Amino acid sequence: MHLINYTHRNTSPFTRFSGRLGTQDIENELGWLFGSALGGLAPSNIGGQFPVDLYEDKDNTFVRAELPGVNRDAISVEMVEGSLSIQASRKDKSTEGDGTVSFNRLVSIPDEVQSDKVTASYENGILTVTLPRREESKPKKINVSVN
Amino acid sequence: MPEKKETIHMSFFNSLTPTAPNALSTAEVQALPARRPYYEVDETDGGYTLTVNLPGVPKDGLEITDEGGELRIAGKRSNKLPEGVVVLHRESSEAPFELVLEHDNTIDPAKTEAELKDGVLNLKLAKAESAKPRKIAVS
Repeated sequence: MHLINYTHRNTSPFTRFSGRLGTQDIENELGWLFGSALGGLAPSNIGGQFPVDLYEDKDNTFVRAELPGVNRDAISVEMVEGSLSIQASRKDKSTEGDGTVSFNRLVSIPDEVQSDKVTASYENGILTVTLPRREESKPKKINVSVN
Repeated sequence: MPEKKETIHMSFFNSLTPTAPNALSTAEVQALPARRPYYEVDETDGGYTLTVNLPGVPKDGLEITDEGGELRIAGKRSNKLPEGVVVLHRESSEAPFELVLEHDNTIDPAKTEAELKDGVLNLKLAKAESAKPRKIAVS
């Protein structure tokens, strides 16, 4: 049997740029772009960053991360000073050393959240963290009477 | 084996044409070009193990076919964002995964085992009896 071994980083610059780009992210994005262009030359199974989505509805902010093949016990999610820290590790037989690959990412959360009510779920290799917003940071409708 | 250089450059240039991140219709998602997932192949005594990262692909979105010396793994993702949300930052893609590997027909498809867990597909491909080394006694 002949199989052509080809590795592909799931975190290609293409997906990075398909998101809405805020000005605060540009520096980040450029770093990622060059990191990933060079990263293709390095073994692709070395841990590091993973794709993250940030979205919100009227009550919650959500952070979603692609973390395939990670044990639920090996995922740690924490709120640290307005940022959500996601850490995970995966056993990987093909790496040198103790065979554990670590991933971590810090996501800045734009709104005040109720840290004690943060929940997370993990399905099909995707981690979804739900961060309920604080009452005071929810948009309020102010009625202005015009005379 | 290092990643092919031309592929890196391709994705670099693709990245300069941003696409609408939110509100992709089902038809639009289906029209997205399939992405090659990250994968690894290891040879074992009795065959090969193939590990493919398919984040967001549920069991019913996965299709594995082996035909004419081509093993094809296609995965449709179920990571659509909920309706009515405001996207602040998006890095994930809804594009389906597709991996096609050529082989010389020495796999026994009846003995192939597949397991999909936490977005990782583990495929155990058994070598066909005819492909295994045989000792020939000299009389």
